[in-house]
Parts: sequence; C-alpha cells; structure tokens
Amino acid sequence: MKLAATKPITLVLARELALAALLLVGVSFVVFVILYLSPGDPFSVLLEGQISNHAARAGLREALGVPRTWYVQYLSWLGNLLQGNFGTSIRTGLPVFGEIARVALSTLYLTLGSMLVTLLIAVPIALHSSVRGTTALNWLLTMLAYVVSALPVFWLGYVAVYVFIHQFGVFPLTARIAASSERTWPFSLLPIFVLGIGNGTVSEVVRHLREEMSRVMGEDYIRTARAKGASVWRHAFKEGLLIPMTEIIASKIPFILGGAVIVEQVFNWPGMGRMAWQAAQDRDFPVIMGIAMIAATLVRLGSLLQRVVYVAVNPRASNERRGAAWAE
Amino acid sequence: MGAPLLEIENLRTYFHSRSKRAFIRAVDGVTMVIARGETLSVVGESGSGKSVTALSIMGLLDAGPGVISGKITFRTDGGERNLLHDLEHYVTLGEQDGRIMEVSKDEAGWRKQVERIMAEVRGKEIAMIFQNPKSALNPFVTVGHQITEAIRLHTPTKHPREAKERSLYWLERVKMDSPRLRFDNYPYGLSGGMCQRAMIAMALSSEPALLIADEPTTGLDATIQSTIVGLLAELKSELGIATLLISHDIRVVSRLADDVAVMYGGTVVEYGPAPEILGARFGLKHPYTAALLASRPSAQNVEEKGGLPAIEGEVPDPIDVPRGCRFYARCNRVTEDIRDACARHEPALKELTPGHHVRCWLYGD
Repeated sequence: MKLAATKPITLVLARELALAALLLVGVSFVVFVILYLSPGDPFSVLLEGQISNHAARAGLREALGVPRTWYVQYLSWLGNLLQGNFGTSIRTGLPVFGEIARVALSTLYLTLGSMLVTLLIAVPIALHSSVRGTTALNWLLTMLAYVVSALPVFWLGYVAVYVFIHQFGVFPLTARIAASSERTWPFSLLPIFVLGIGNGTVSEVVRHLREEMSRVMGEDYIRTARAKGASVWRHAFKEGLLIPMTEIIASKIPFILGGAVIVEQVFNWPGMGRMAWQAAQDRDFPVIMGIAMIAATLVRLGSLLQRVVYVAVNPRASNERRGAAWAE
Repeated sequence: MGAPLLEIENLRTYFHSRSKRAFIRAVDGVTMVIARGETLSVVGESGSGKSVTALSIMGLLDAGPGVISGKITFRTDGGERNLLHDLEHYVTLGEQDGRIMEVSKDEAGWRKQVERIMAEVRGKEIAMIFQNPKSALNPFVTVGHQITEAIRLHTPTKHPREAKERSLYWLERVKMDSPRLRFDNYPYGLSGGMCQRAMIAMALSSEPALLIADEPTTGLDATIQSTIVGLLAELKSELGIATLLISHDIRVVSRLADDVAVMYGGTVVEYGPAPEILGARFGLKHPYTAALLASRPSAQNVEEKGGLPAIEGEVPDPIDVPRGCRFYARCNRVTEDIRDACARHEPALKELTPGHHVRCWLYGD
C-alpha cells in the first residue's frame, strides 16, 4: 500500500539507482581485471629510464601503499570508492576525483554540444521524410547522412584541422585554452561539429526518428487530429519525436564518449577523453578506473533520463508502474 | 427533403498501385446529396468504397500518386464552395474510353491546395468520428483537453476556463458518466463506449454543420453499440445536425437514416429514402440491396431458411473492374432478356419512383 501511493517516477528512480550501483560494481571489476592482465604496470612507467630492478619496484610499491595481491588491491580500491575516495593518480600524486572534475566540464560541454549538432542535422531530415515520403531532396540528405556517418571521426577531425586551421586559419591552433574565457568559445565549435557529425550516429538517429515518426503519422489519433483541424505536430510530438529522441540519444552515449576520446586527442581538448588516453599510456590505474566509473555513470544517466521521460510522458506507463507496485 | 448541404457529383477516387502498375478504383463515380438536418447513410460491404468516400470529402487521403476528381459542393450560410476546387490543375490525366489510363501529379501543390480548402472546413464545418474510438483518441492527452482543443480552435470560446466548462457541457450532453472525473482521464482508462462518447462530444463541440460518422459502432460491444446508436438518434433529433453515416450494419442504418445510398464496387447502386430502400418490398430494389437485406440476422431469417443466406461470390476487383454491371457475377436475378446488357454495359442510375434511384437493367425500359 505504501508503494502504491508512491509516485511512478520515484519508483523508476529507485529501481534505476539500484541497477546502476550493481552495474558500476560489475564494470569496475571487469575494467580492473583487464588492466591487471594487460602488459605493463605503472611502476615500470614511473621508473622508465631509471634503475628498474626488482628492489626498486618493490620499494616504490611499498611507498605508494599498493597491496600485493590483485584482489586485495581491487577490494581496497572499491572500499575507498564507497567512501567517496577515487584514490590518487600514480603519475601526478593528486586525488583522481579532483583531476577528473577539473576536466569533466569541458568533456560535458563537448559531448552535449555534439549531441545538439547531431540532432540539428538528423531531426529535420527525419521529420521531412517521415511526412513527405521519399522525395529527391530528402533522399539526397539521407544518403549524405549515411556517408557522413561512415567517415571515421579521427579522419574527419584531421581534415577539419587541416582545412580550417592550417589552410584558412579560421581558428587558432589550440582550440580551447580555458573553459571560462569568453573569447575562445567560438573556437570550440570546430571540435563540437566534428564530433557531432563524425560520431557515426547521425544516420541511425535519422533512421530511428523517421521510422517512429512515420509509424505515429499513420496512427488513428493523428487522423483524428487532422479531421478536427488541429496541429498534427502537436499531437505527434510526444510519441513521434520526444520519446524516440531520448531513446536513441541514450543508446548512443557510449559512442559519443568514445568519439570524444579521439576528438579531444585530435584537437588537444583538455577533457576526460584526453586524460583517459594519457592515463592508459601511463598505466595510471586509479585514473583509468575513475574515468571508467564516470563514463559508466553517464551511460546509466542517459538511460535513466530516457525512462523518466517515457514514464512522465506516457500515462499508460505511469499506470503500469503503479500496477506493478501493487503486485509487489 | 431540406436544402442540400453537401452535394457530391461524380466523385472518383483512384489509388495508384505501383507494383501492379494500375489504378485501384476505390470510388468510381459516386453522386449523392446530404440535405440540411438529415442523415444520409451509406451502406455496403467492406471494400465498396464507403470510407474512402468519407475520407475524400475530408481531404484526409494521403495524396500519393492517386487521384480524386469530381465535385463536392458544400453549402453553408457563408456561401458555397467546392471542396475539390482547382485540384484538377495539379493532375494531368490521360483518359481512354472514359477510363483514366495515366496520371502525372504535382503532389506538393495538390497537398497545399487541399490544406488551403480544408483548413476552414475540417473540424469546424465538418466534424468526423471514426471506428475503434480507443485508438482514435490521442493516448497522451487527457480526454478533456482533446475536447477543449476543438472548442478553442473552432468556436469563439478561447478562455481555458470557459472552454473547460463548455467541454463539460458536451460531455454531459453525450451522457458521459461523471464528466468531471472523465475530463482528466486519459483514453486508456476509458471503455470503448466512453471513448466514442468523448469522440462525439469532441466532434459536436465545435458545432459543425455536418457530422461524418465512419462506422461509429464498429469495434464496440453489442450492448454498447446500441446505446451509442441511441445517443446518435437523440442528438440528431435535439440538434438537427446533418449526418453522413457510414455503416455496414443495416440495423444501425434503419434507426438513424433518412436517406440511404447502397454502395457496391465503388459506385452507388441504389439511392433513395430509407423506408423505401430498407422496407419489405423486395421487388422494387436492386438485387444487391435485396440480398444485403436478406442476409441480415433476424429470427425470421433463421427460422425460415435455417440460417443466414450469404451473398455468393466476392466483391469485384477494384483494379480490373468488370465492363458490365459490377454485381453481374453475383446476381441471382439476371433474366435471359437482360443477360447480354448486364454482361456488357454498366446500367445508369434510373429514377424508379420520385427520389428513389436504382442502377439495374431489371428496371430498364
């Protein structure tokens, strides 16, 4: 009875949170095992070019307080994490959380901006073709979207750097010096557009939105809206655009984050992607683990957002949730 | 018969099948008149072109490469207009022996022209209700809001609170139980009957001149069907709204219709006052109408014939329409005198008694 009185959104949130916690533990374990099994370790990187004998490595290990066995190492990391401690970077000796927080905002800026670019390209094409059917114009645009999606993002990035920076000098070479500096923001448009176009999701967003919108346009209630002289778009918006848009974006977050790693590298963008790249080269385990956790959290947040939108928008879903709570 | 409100003249609605490279002649030369305050009912089997006729009037057919031709004159106090006005300018037809053989169409222009004509008409002058009311209402919007939207779009009532009061009035008018509660319900929480009441309230709330009811009771439980028909009959006598009722259910038609048009294979085969067409004098009817009436369920039918007589055969192929009478292949009243005519020439719609037209060689001169 208590549950039945709870708002459906609250239930969705609670369930998603529990799921997210489990998932994060799983992800952290897998990432840790992969790191542990892969060749190379932070000590050899730190001691590179210096005397690298067994005693030196053991001494370093002792000094850094790293446990001997891999499972104790993992459990102590997990224990620290549960207390909100992400550990310290082996390379810089600074707390990992602070390091990530310093660059997270610029990655967020890059990825959200690129999502917006993707949608700005995909939504008009999808809507036009779902309503007008296949015309010469939207056939051409759809083909273009497919071609563009097939371009590797690093290639697109280097072409953009070459054309806009070296050839025409439209943007300075270091794209983004400080997030706060107002004068530099136009320069960040280049990597945002490269990621938005080149993350390989444009064609799939077009396809998904077009399919959903075409299906909704054929629904009886849209015919009713037309028969009563109301705006078809207003009636089709929730089921035909809002829900499919959150669905596709949520499912594409991993690809966008993956693309961000490359784009940040190409454009020297001081974000999480570049930090992850650097940390991977340094075998800086705590940093890699921390970034993996943040990335996994972002992916979960995306699907959570999608669930919340779906339940908030769909009266039937809200009711099913309530019904399920009764049964529990 | 009152003054004509809607006159349909020689309406032809053809869809083009790309795979078969041929026209599907869904509606093929339909002429009928709806008088003010009266109910014209269109009956016929599925595939006879009833619903397509209604959708053609509303301009709700997706344009596609098909073609709509003829004239639909709609007369209101504001004047008269042709709902298919100028549409022929967007289509070039290649005709041969009165049959359309090829077509080229400016679809964008066609669509714009349809929207231009119908923007003032849809919902405001002509409202429409459909079969399967549960799916005809928007599942994401409350019932009340959907009615309020129609009121605010088409009547001088613009203020949200006044519009809500007006919606509640209409919900009461269609005998929705606890209208204030239902106002905030989403369609999924309502039964099919309640959804159809809401649809009717929504259609009538903009006070249209004509209501098109496309199989309004199909998809509802039998008991609900009868209460919905009762409601429509009541509203008809109270409001005096002209109605185009499309139904394959003779019982529904006989309770509501003033005039009846029987459609078969895309044309009207019989047309006239309801009592004459639905009455018991089988001798003066089109053979198809007679067969249709004989196949409706009744105690008499079951007792005398030990079951319901079905009409043998199938509806004619709308792509390859037979040259002669469309009902010839299934007709059981062909006599040797007329067999030749039936097989070769399509009969014209002849006036048998004043107002009663039949398309059959039996009634030739």
